[in-house]
Amino acid sequence: MTHLLDIRDLHLAFKGLSGLTEVLHGIDLSIAAGERVALVGESGSGKSVTARIVLGLLQEMRNARVTGRVAFDGADVMTMAQKDRAALRGTEMSMIFQDPTSSLNPTFTIGNQFAEVMRRRDPKLDQAACDARATEMLTEVSIPDPGRVLANYPFQLSGGMNQRVMIAMALVNNPKLLLADEPGTALDVSVQAQTLRLMHDLVEKHHTAVLFISHNLGVVREFADRVYVIYRGRIVETGPTDAIFHSPGHAYTRALMDAVPRITGAGLPAVPEVSDDFLAPMVRHDGGAS
Amino acid sequence: MTLLSVQNLTKTFQTPSGPVHAVRDVSFEVERGECLAVVGESGSGKTTLANMILGILGATSGEIRFDGATLPAKRGPVHRRAIQFVQQNPLSALNPKRNIGASVRLGLDTYAIGPRADRWLKVEEALEEVGLPREMRQRAPSSLSGGQRQRVGIARALACEPELVVLDEPTSALDVLVQARVLRLLNDLRARKKLTYVFITHDLAVVRNVADRVAVFKAGQLVELGRTEQIFSAPEHPYTRSLIGAVPVVDDAELELRNKLAEGT
Amino acid sequence: MTRALRIIAANPLSLTGLILVLAIVLAALFAPWIAPFPTHNSAVVDFAYANSAPNGRNWMGTDLVGRDIFSRILYAYRISLGLGIVVLIIATPIGTIVGLLAGYLGGWTESVLMRLVDVFLSIPPLVLAIAVLGVLEPTLTNAMIAVTVMWWPWYARLVYSIARSEREEGYVLAAEVIGAPTTHIAFREILPNCLPAIITKMTLDMGFVIIIASSLSFLGLGVQPPTPDLGSMVAEGARYLPDSWWMTVFPGLAILFAVFGFNLLGDGLRDVLGADE
Repeated sequence: MTHLLDIRDLHLAFKGLSGLTEVLHGIDLSIAAGERVALVGESGSGKSVTARIVLGLLQEMRNARVTGRVAFDGADVMTMAQKDRAALRGTEMSMIFQDPTSSLNPTFTIGNQFAEVMRRRDPKLDQAACDARATEMLTEVSIPDPGRVLANYPFQLSGGMNQRVMIAMALVNNPKLLLADEPGTALDVSVQAQTLRLMHDLVEKHHTAVLFISHNLGVVREFADRVYVIYRGRIVETGPTDAIFHSPGHAYTRALMDAVPRITGAGLPAVPEVSDDFLAPMVRHDGGAS
Repeated sequence: MTLLSVQNLTKTFQTPSGPVHAVRDVSFEVERGECLAVVGESGSGKTTLANMILGILGATSGEIRFDGATLPAKRGPVHRRAIQFVQQNPLSALNPKRNIGASVRLGLDTYAIGPRADRWLKVEEALEEVGLPREMRQRAPSSLSGGQRQRVGIARALACEPELVVLDEPTSALDVLVQARVLRLLNDLRARKKLTYVFITHDLAVVRNVADRVAVFKAGQLVELGRTEQIFSAPEHPYTRSLIGAVPVVDDAELELRNKLAEGT
Repeated sequence: MTRALRIIAANPLSLTGLILVLAIVLAALFAPWIAPFPTHNSAVVDFAYANSAPNGRNWMGTDLVGRDIFSRILYAYRISLGLGIVVLIIATPIGTIVGLLAGYLGGWTESVLMRLVDVFLSIPPLVLAIAVLGVLEPTLTNAMIAVTVMWWPWYARLVYSIARSEREEGYVLAAEVIGAPTTHIAFREILPNCLPAIITKMTLDMGFVIIIASSLSFLGLGVQPPTPDLGSMVAEGARYLPDSWWMTVFPGLAILFAVFGFNLLGDGLRDVLGADE
């Protein structure tokens, strides 16, 4: 089957004053159309830079050295001209960030920001057409009174509302791929749970593929069809969500699972020592779309 | 024996759009050696409450008693020293321009703990106690990982030899493996040094495993207070149930418990 | 230190600044040995060579009374740099203390101190200095006083804004909860975090102080003849333009190089100190 996103042997290194620092050591990752895939790892594991490479943002950095293949919808993101990559962003692929309030521009109304996003796809759209479509999207993310919200500035809305606006805005151009980097981590737990459920339903309805980047195993379990576990720039385990959670095969995945405190109260989580087993070869569970 | 007692505590902020009741008529007690979790979402008043216990903020009305004595509005050194603080963000909690040792030593100098000549030794002991190497006192905060910085923050608070420690989301900025280690460390230190904790957090899974009792706050009010096992087997307040219902869980037993509790049956 | 040099060397502009500043400082320090005519820094006359264009003997020509312009520029750099250093050494601590107290303490202290600073900042700097010199006698010392009076408020404003944002940082809260004295928090915790910005600004300002001091002496309000000063040399030479162009052009270029050098070096230092964390 063909993949919407196909990453093969992706390497990344940063040039610094003290030489090259390798961040990614050959990542393979693929996402089918409409599939929800999570990339789970700790801070510094390389999960966020992977998303930035998919968006084509790191290829343009002078001190970053990226090699490997990143194919999106049949086109090669690595060899593409800079302006073609830029044209993909916000149209065919879009992104949701951790903190919704700071990723919206505080000096424009929500309506203006929607229009700007929509004109990336169709520069000739007039304000009325944009507002109509934005209203439709805001209704889909269960925002009551969308007309009022469109006239508001981001700071006039709560964090939860801004998160919904971000989701609506990310999906307004019907992208094929949505990159979500720790969405909702900055929000309260109950708001986070609601927005994730909402996002889940919406991408299902629109058949949008998602690369969901998170450190929170619980959130991943609820959202994703398939999981990649990343440790220090290497994928250590991959498979369908159920398989990963019911029979984690890699030492690192097991350590991650064990370290999560349980509401059933099994006592303080075990403290796994960092061991060489964490660098053991990748464990692959079959099944799912890839 | 009661160490901390909060009686009818209220804090009202005057804002241009009218008064905001951050904490409203809250009363509870913390036993010596206990870990009380204070749980709530943003706007629940849990940070305001912590600041009043620490003496950073004055109360609008009500009183805080510590070890039998009412804490005055202007705290003396004895009480300031006895109540210490560990912050959420280990990144900003350490001065980037001072080395680790200087940060940990601050309390020793402020309260003249031990002879001056021995204080660097005491700093090194404090670092060792939180599982950091002694040589780390020469290092700059920027060269430490998040977990190491949080340990320094704990060492700094404990160097004052406090009785009560207010922990404000001490692990929520940390990775899960690091969190597990820091939670263990906090538990060990509490037992070893006979400390009392007020543990502020939004993470109920953490609460379930570290707290003796739980106080649930909503919009400045205490809505439920009970022993941890009781809260997680039969939560009474609908807000407590909705909080438990939103916890992301990883295994099936948890999922079952969560769904059962959230339904309130 | 080596890291700092590497960062500066990596940027050609910063490197140019460093080289210019080093050259100027060395020239000023060793003026008596470098200058071909060290006695020309005073009221000597040498009419045999008066008003001569640049040549093998006088590289930058001579002035109306035959003094070597190159020698006089070297000595003028001594005066300018000395004046800049004295002004900054006095103005910086005053501004820093005012800004630190206003920024950290807030409330009443903040209102009083910062309104005072605003009053000073609202008067155009040159006008303020001219006013001070109008009241006092125009001498080198008084020129320093005048420039210092207009300079400290900028440091107060800079340090104030940094201290105000640092006040919200966790480490300040931690020190307050521990109960550390106010002076410790202001000077030992917050001040070190203001230093990179202060040092950068001092370097940039060396150039500006030299301009202001030269402007004052151009107007006849600063250093008085026969002491060589870049500003008064330009003013004197300007009367004989365009024929005796060397009298104006070389002192003017000297000012330009100094300002340019300190500015580029200041920008370079900003990179070094900013990248510190």
